[in-house]
This record gives sequence, structure tokens and C-alpha cells, in this order.
Amino acid sequence: MDEQELVSRSKSGDVEAFNLLVEQYQRLVYNLALRMLGNSEAAEDASQDTFLSAYKAIGKFRGGSFKSWVLRIAANSCHDKLRVARRYRVVSLDTLLLEIDELPQANNTESPEDYTLRRELGRFLNEGLAHLPEDQRLVVILSDVQGLSYEEVAQATGSSLGTVKSRLNRGRTRLRDFLLKREELLPSKFRLNK
Amino acid sequence: MFRGKGEPLCRKVLGMLSEYIDNRLSTENKSLVERHLQTCETCSKELGSLRMTVQLLHRVPEVPVPRSFTVTVPAPSHESAFGPASLRWLRPATAVATIVLVVLLVSDFLNVFGHEAGIRGGEFLNMPTGQTMLLSTPTGEGNLTATADELTKAIPAPTQAGGGNVTEGNNTEGNASAQVFMAGISGMQGPEGPPSIAGQEAVGWPLRQIEIAVGVVVLALATLTVFAVRQRRKGVSVR
Repeated sequence: MDEQELVSRSKSGDVEAFNLLVEQYQRLVYNLALRMLGNSEAAEDASQDTFLSAYKAIGKFRGGSFKSWVLRIAANSCHDKLRVARRYRVVSLDTLLLEIDELPQANNTESPEDYTLRRELGRFLNEGLAHLPEDQRLVVILSDVQGLSYEEVAQATGSSLGTVKSRLNRGRTRLRDFLLKREELLPSKFRLNK
Repeated sequence: MFRGKGEPLCRKVLGMLSEYIDNRLSTENKSLVERHLQTCETCSKELGSLRMTVQLLHRVPEVPVPRSFTVTVPAPSHESAFGPASLRWLRPATAVATIVLVVLLVSDFLNVFGHEAGIRGGEFLNMPTGQTMLLSTPTGEGNLTATADELTKAIPAPTQAGGGNVTEGNNTEGNASAQVFMAGISGMQGPEGPPSIAGQEAVGWPLRQIEIAVGVVVLALATLTVFAVRQRRKGVSVR
């Protein structure tokens, strides 16, 4: 069953069809939330809110990319959670970052050293992402971490193509500057000024 | 840092490096950037570090989901009679009942139904001469009867009734208000306290009872509405 048909059946109230879509996109949504919020519990909440909202609003979905649509709901959910966290100063993002520690072993052939290296790199990049302004972070995650095209990012963020390009350029540059300042902490094979 | 160094052309090229990495530049801009990079070491280094950053971002590992986020909706057979669907009639019913209650309370307050405090409608005042009325004590013991004449005699003059009002009316046999009457019969003591009028509640409009009944209906409907709204919110949940 293709995505169009699943969406069509979901619109007519078929929960099983909708859940097939959830299973298809839950990893993408959860990872976006995790990178945006830096906290697994908050990411779970945001993902849950995303799919509940999507199910309730599926009737208003006017076609196009379901992936972009659901990511837009996820992005809004993350913005809401960040706004609440800022308002109540629940916990700083730097603290939250330390909680991302769920990197699975890639495969059986990966050596413990490579695993540690990969994990350190992931932690370092997460820290860098957390230092970006929200709008730039969102675009960088969608484009460079999740591999969406510019057009998909524009749909998912509700921005113009020009805004996406500009935010992506500024976000990458800012992240590069962050990494350059801490280059000695990067594994040698990942140093920027080789 | 490399940023801010160089000529205006450098700044222009630096602004296009991100798109250049993603191969999103037009042919014209792409050749402009490539020509510049051949001659500008600063911009070349900038491109190298930016490209490395993007490559690092591509290596950010994906985290598996800790649980499923599939949604579940309760089966229709499990839905109670006052489930979400009942909101269609519960809301207007609650509104109507509330309006009726408010109208009743306001009418009572403004005495629209001619309701006097304590005794209904002054029925006994219109009682023909010779007819008897049953009076009783609060405990129900020591009942006694009184004719209209006796009741009229029992009503003291307005000045004796401690300022009690005398209702202006066209009844010649008992032209007094209930308050005055009550003050007047207070002297007719039964074995245990002053008498009251038996069947008082049955006389005239039972406005208070209606108000209480409508109030109970409003409360019940409001409770069911809240229950139905909660059911609707719970209706879709995550497994």
C-alpha cells in the first residue's frame, strides 16, 4: 500500500492505516525532537504530541508531502516545548545535552575504539547544534542530519526557499566556528583544519 | 576565523558556499565560485572547513525510538451512552436547563409568580367563610383546625403585628398578608410550639421544589458534559 493510499484511508478514520504511517516516520520525528530538545524524555513527549495532533488533523491535510507535513507538526511541537522550558527555566539545554547517550553499536565489526570515537563525535556535534539559534538548528538538522531537500525543509518549516538557504548557510558557519574553537577536542581524523 | 576577510567578491562567494556544497547553484554562479576558489586561499580554506562540518553532520548517528508512537482509538462498542458523541445533545441540553434555572431564580427573586415568603399565594385568604383549614405543630402532633373567621380573628391589627404588612386586596374576609397571618396565629400554641399550616407545600405553586429539581438537572447535565469532554480527549491515545 503506497503512502497516498495510507493517507487517504487515514482521512476516512482508518487507524491502522495511520499507524503504518506512524511506523514509517516515528524514527525521523523522534530524532528531530531529540536533536532539537536534547532530552530523550522531552523528545518522547514531543513525538507523542506530534502523532496525536497529526491524527486529529489528518482531515485537514491537503496533499503534498506527508513527511514534510508531519515534520512541520513535530517542529511546532518542539518550539512549544522549548518556549515552555524557557518560560519556566526548567533546565538549560547544555544540561539536557548530557542526557543524549543512546548511541547504539553500529554493527558487530565496529571496534570499541571506533564506537567510542563515534559516540564522542555525536556528543560533540549535539553540543554544537544546541548552541545554534532554534530556527538555524531546525534547518541544519532537517537538511544535514536527516537529509531533506531544500524544498522539503521549506515545507517542514513553513519558510521560503531563500530563508532556508540563508538559515542553512548561517547555521553551518556558526557550527563550523563552534567546532573550530574546540578543535583540539575533536578526534584527529575529524579536525577541520587539516 | 576566515569570515570578514577579503574583498567584496570573497563575501559574495562565502555567501554561496553552502549552496555550492549542496550543488544547488546555477551554472553561472557555480563557475563564478570555482574561478574565485582557484585564486583565493582564504575562501578555499573556508570551503574546506564548511564541507567538513557538513560531512560531520551527515555522520550524526540516528537514535532508535524508545517505544512505538502508534495511536489507539477505543472501539465504538466500548463507548458509553455519554461518550463523546453525546456532546451533540448534552451541550444544548445543559444550556437550556441552565437558562430555565436562571429564569426561575430571577422570577422567584422578583416575585413574578406572586409567591409570598412562608405561605403560598394567600389561598387561605380567599377561603370561603365556614371552610376549615388544618393547622399543625412542627412535629405533626397537636393538629387543630380553624375556620376562615377564626383565622381572620387571629390576625392582629397591623400595628399589633410588629409592623406587619397588610396586603391591599379585594377580599373582605381575610385581607391580610401571610406574614401578618403567621404573626397572628403565633398565639395559637399547640402542645409543642406554634402551629403551621398543614399541606402548606401543596398549596399554590411549588416554586422552590421546581427550582431544586431544575438545579439538580443542571448539575447532572454539567457533570455528564464534563465526562463526555474528558472521554473525547482520551479518545485518541498513544499505545
